[in-house]
Amino acid sequence: MESYKGKVAPDWCPGCGNFAQLRAISAALAELNIEPENAVITSGIGCSSNMPEFINAYGYHGLHGRLVPVAAGIKWANPDLTVIGYGGDGDGYFEGTQHLYHFAKRNVDITYMVSDNQVFGLTTGQASPTTPIGRKTKNTPDGNIEPPFNPLQYVLTAGASFVARGFSGDIKTLTEITKEAIKHKGFSFIDVLSPCPTYNKFNGYDFYRKTFYRLENNNKEDFYEAYKHASEWGDQPHSIPTGIFYEVNKTRYEDADEVLSKGSLKKTAPYKLTEDDLTEFY
Amino acid sequence: MDDVIVRIGGAAGDGVQSAGLILTKTFSRNGLYVSTYNYYQSLIRGGQGWYQIRTSEEVVKNQGSGLDVLIALNEDALNRHTDENINEGGASPLSGIAIFDGVMITNYNKNSNVKYCPVPLRDIALKYDKNPLLKNTVALGATIASLGVGFNAFANVIREVFGKKGKIAELNVNAAKEGYDYFMDNYSVYKKVKTIKRKMYASTGGDAVGFGGINAGMQMYFAYPMTPASSVMQFFSTHAKKYNIFVKVTEDEISAINAAIGANYAGVRTMTGSSGGGFALMTEGVGLSAMTEVPLVVYEAQRPGPSTGLPTKTEQGDLNQVIGAGQGDFPRIVLAPGNITDAFNLTKEAFNLAYKYQLPVFIMSDLYLAEHVETLLNIDLDYIMDNGLMAKDNEENYKRYEFTDSGISKRAVPGQKGLMHNEDSDEHDEYGNVVSDQVTDPKIRMLSVEKRMRKIEDYIKNMPPTRTYKIEEADYLVVQWGSTRGAVEEVIDKLRGEDIKIGAVEIDHIFPLNPDIKNYLKNKKRIIVVENNYSGQLNKLLKSEFLINTDFIGKYDGEAFYPDELKNSIEGKINEKYEKIKIRGE
Ligand SMILES: Cc1ncc(C[n+]2csc(CCOP(=O)(O)OP(=O)(O)O)c2C)c(N)n1
Ligand code: SF4
Ligand SMILES: [Mg+2]
Repeated sequence: MESYKGKVAPDWCPGCGNFAQLRAISAALAELNIEPENAVITSGIGCSSNMPEFINAYGYHGLHGRLVPVAAGIKWANPDLTVIGYGGDGDGYFEGTQHLYHFAKRNVDITYMVSDNQVFGLTTGQASPTTPIGRKTKNTPDGNIEPPFNPLQYVLTAGASFVARGFSGDIKTLTEITKEAIKHKGFSFIDVLSPCPTYNKFNGYDFYRKTFYRLENNNKEDFYEAYKHASEWGDQPHSIPTGIFYEVNKTRYEDADEVLSKGSLKKTAPYKLTEDDLTEFY
Repeated sequence: MDDVIVRIGGAAGDGVQSAGLILTKTFSRNGLYVSTYNYYQSLIRGGQGWYQIRTSEEVVKNQGSGLDVLIALNEDALNRHTDENINEGGASPLSGIAIFDGVMITNYNKNSNVKYCPVPLRDIALKYDKNPLLKNTVALGATIASLGVGFNAFANVIREVFGKKGKIAELNVNAAKEGYDYFMDNYSVYKKVKTIKRKMYASTGGDAVGFGGINAGMQMYFAYPMTPASSVMQFFSTHAKKYNIFVKVTEDEISAINAAIGANYAGVRTMTGSSGGGFALMTEGVGLSAMTEVPLVVYEAQRPGPSTGLPTKTEQGDLNQVIGAGQGDFPRIVLAPGNITDAFNLTKEAFNLAYKYQLPVFIMSDLYLAEHVETLLNIDLDYIMDNGLMAKDNEENYKRYEFTDSGISKRAVPGQKGLMHNEDSDEHDEYGNVVSDQVTDPKIRMLSVEKRMRKIEDYIKNMPPTRTYKIEEADYLVVQWGSTRGAVEEVIDKLRGEDIKIGAVEIDHIFPLNPDIKNYLKNKKRIIVVENNYSGQLNKLLKSEFLINTDFIGKYDGEAFYPDELKNSIEGKINEKYEKIKIRGE
């Protein structure tokens, strides 16, 4: 088993949550015995989205907000690959919201992890879709007035079959969640509470260590229970749940589609056209 | 050329187009060349639309000027198409026979150039069925009679269209026969069409692109519906099972192009397509394909803009958009088929070019090309899928973006052993690693730009020679691109017949331009650029590339050129004050 360590060293700030996600993804792939050549990491644009370079697998670092359709295109072309999308909250919850919703609904068999640092990191600290109300950022000097986006409820409503939340300060659980997400047949989604010590001075490790808890004995097949847990948030101990909120068996798009369900297109020779086919026309 | 032009006019919902297609099929199945024209509005019911079919024993290159037989499905249609001052974008008024329901339409404007042949369409149809569309079949029967075509040739097509055995098919055949007999009993053959025993295939441009894609080994198509690009999507959807094509309508065009990039990256030939508005949304993806060097074929079918524009009309207004789409300086190839056969062939070529050069390749179409039916000429189904340079598993020190002489480096697709690498929308080095994260290396940036640009130099060296038409000893030269080809060629034939030495350069590899075009521009009395747009987008490109003076003829009323109107315009340019054209720098 080759190592998943990439040739390029991560360039994130010291203490950045992304280091934990890098470890969790690498460990999950290794523990699941997935060969590096069969894993593809696709990303958008942001600090978080620099991930593919740091992993020894196939990497595709695409456009801001567009990693999900790229990931789906790869998976539909070659279902034998393990496809993991990785990007930021700005990337996934602003620019790419429509893709997230519709690919979750389609239940395409990819894993999508969002490094949710509640801020635009790479563009140096503007408010993001998950920035809490009142928070002062570069572009909200008087405090953010826009209510935050709830990614878990959004994705649950869309119809995702696997919805989870991790925390960069709890790598062990994050790795377990990632493994389950990769194994899950269908769209698996993980929002990760990821500190950005440089631009998010408020909700960092200390805040989450105090407030997070691990979901235990929750009924993962109960949509309404998952939805309720997804509404929990606060600054008191045991107020922010992490873990797998929802996990159900659902038909994957690839299984329902008449062409894709016949097998890997990558492994299938294209149709050979004959003159007889021309009679379809006029 | 002996030809016949038939036009069917009526409201949306009257079955104008399906009647037109039955007639088209009848001619095609009986060994004749066809070329049609679909004039319709963006609505489901009402309005006025029409469908025109031109047919001949000889190759038919466009919808044609003139009108021999009109089938008028309502009074408005009868008045419109018999009016000398017809205002339908260049279509000629009727100077032949009009077939219409003489019981239903009694109060119409009479024109002495027209022979009126009323047929009780509705009364005949009602004997067989209440379906209001059956009267169209009766009218088609009468039309077939007016052209002196045997009824059986027509009956077979009806059976084919309505299902071989079904009751409905027989009902239609019988109604058509009564229309046929009624015409024979009351009128005489107007213009004889000779049918020929030979196999002809006709197709729309949209189907030809679809067909070309399948022939090229395409296995997936991602798009979001937008007229006139939707016909390609529809083709793939209709035939998905048979040809094992995965078609997906995504949530938007941005998703479509990104998914197509993902699929091509993973090693399955995939196309995306849209019209100008949807393509505008794809813009950023075009650059992604160029930067990561992932092969991509984009079908772009133009309609008049800006913005929503005229959804069901034609124009060539997107050339600037397609050659300019995407921030930055990068290579791309743009193809612009000149007819439906070309649409098939260039789609095949587009895939091999995209895979050889690992860049975005465009097939530019327009509503006219996409939606009209034309006989296919010399269809060659042989095709060698050339996926370009590929790395071998476990190659030592693999560089995805190696700086080679041709600029082309070996691709590796996920799943290949020992070739793991990064592909990046950020500027990167030979390995695919980003050059800007810590210290930007200006040298590597330069080398990477040059490497990508060298690919287009290689392409230019290997481009097929530019197409020309009757350029021998030409004093006058027409330059055209895309779907105006058929009209231009017909005008040239006619002017050559009048001893005017005129020829054409037909550009179907439109960007980058082939430098050989320069050879054809020398020593011309006039160079006339013909485009279906207002500002002359190719014209400007030609001027800046070859430093020439040109005359420009543009049409931007939403319709394609008609040969007679174009001939007038070209004659006008020829007769304008003579001024010798010089190529600067010579
Ligand atoms: C189309 C487009 N718009 C804007 C940008 C600029 N941009 C780069 S990263 C980014 C936001 C990054 O925030 P996030 O996705 O949360 O990632 P983080 O850096 O926080 O990990 C923006 C707006 C871009 N690259 N492309
Ligand atoms: S700015 Fe924030 S998110 Fe970006 S690398 Fe630094 S700590 Fe991480
Ligand atoms: Mg962020």
